[in-house]
Amino acid sequence: MLQPILGSENIERVLVFIFTRNEGYATEIARFFETDLYGIQNQLDKLETGGVLVSRLVGRTRLYTFNPRYPFLKEIKSLLDKALSFYPAEVREKLLMNRRRPRRRGKPL
Amino acid sequence: MKSIRNMTQPELCAFVQSQLNERGIYVVLSGGASVSFYSSNKYVSHDLDLVNVYAVKRRVIHEAMNEMGFSEQGRHYIHPETQYLVEFLPGPLSIGSEPVKQVDEIRLSTGILRIISPTDCVKDRLAAYYHWGDRQCLEQAILVAKERKVDIEEIRRWSDAEGKHVEFEKISAKLIS
Repeated sequence: MLQPILGSENIERVLVFIFTRNEGYATEIARFFETDLYGIQNQLDKLETGGVLVSRLVGRTRLYTFNPRYPFLKEIKSLLDKALSFYPAEVREKLLMNRRRPRRRGKPL
Repeated sequence: MKSIRNMTQPELCAFVQSQLNERGIYVVLSGGASVSFYSSNKYVSHDLDLVNVYAVKRRVIHEAMNEMGFSEQGRHYIHPETQYLVEFLPGPLSIGSEPVKQVDEIRLSTGILRIISPTDCVKDRLAAYYHWGDRQCLEQAILVAKERKVDIEEIRRWSDAEGKHVEFEKISAKLIS
């Protein structure tokens, strides 16, 4: 959707994923879009170097979120929101409807 | 000209900035080193965070730094004659969602130090406190506000624009006292 202006499909995938879920790590983003892990890692790294994303280690996983101090954050989120409205309904649903609340250990499904 | 070995942090910064400026690379000091400068080293930072205001290509900066004797180590540049590390941060020069409108220029024996103003330095530290709850940054903001003349009304206006009115009201007395 935004590839012509972002210059890469993987950048759009990373941004849309983090926009909808607030955070994400390379493996889950690559798995979600069924794409190459290296390509996603590369874009996460570029976006962090550019100040768009920030990361922190949670255990052994590097978790990325939007940098709240990025000066164009409001505008980029607005663009992603609009782009998302053009996504196929099932992809949008899959991105948005993801369990984020905690699940007690040992709780039966 | 002093050798790099004998330069203080602001002198080294002014030297690097001036050398880069001669090559058309405009960088401005922000972050912890600006707190060090404005607090007369009551807070000590060994990093020089230089904002690459006009997004000059990394390769161009790299060549200029190499000519000054710096080498790249991870995201930093190191020099064998100094303990200070230099890091280049991506532009634009902003505090939160607003551009920095004024950069202070201070002439030192090694060059011109280009640094965010004390008021913007306080805002920069408060941004880290507001968004990440970093209390060390709040302490640094208070340190600068006590040491230097800062525009509290401007900091209030900016905090409101960042949606942090309530947070500012909670800490404003510490900035003023």
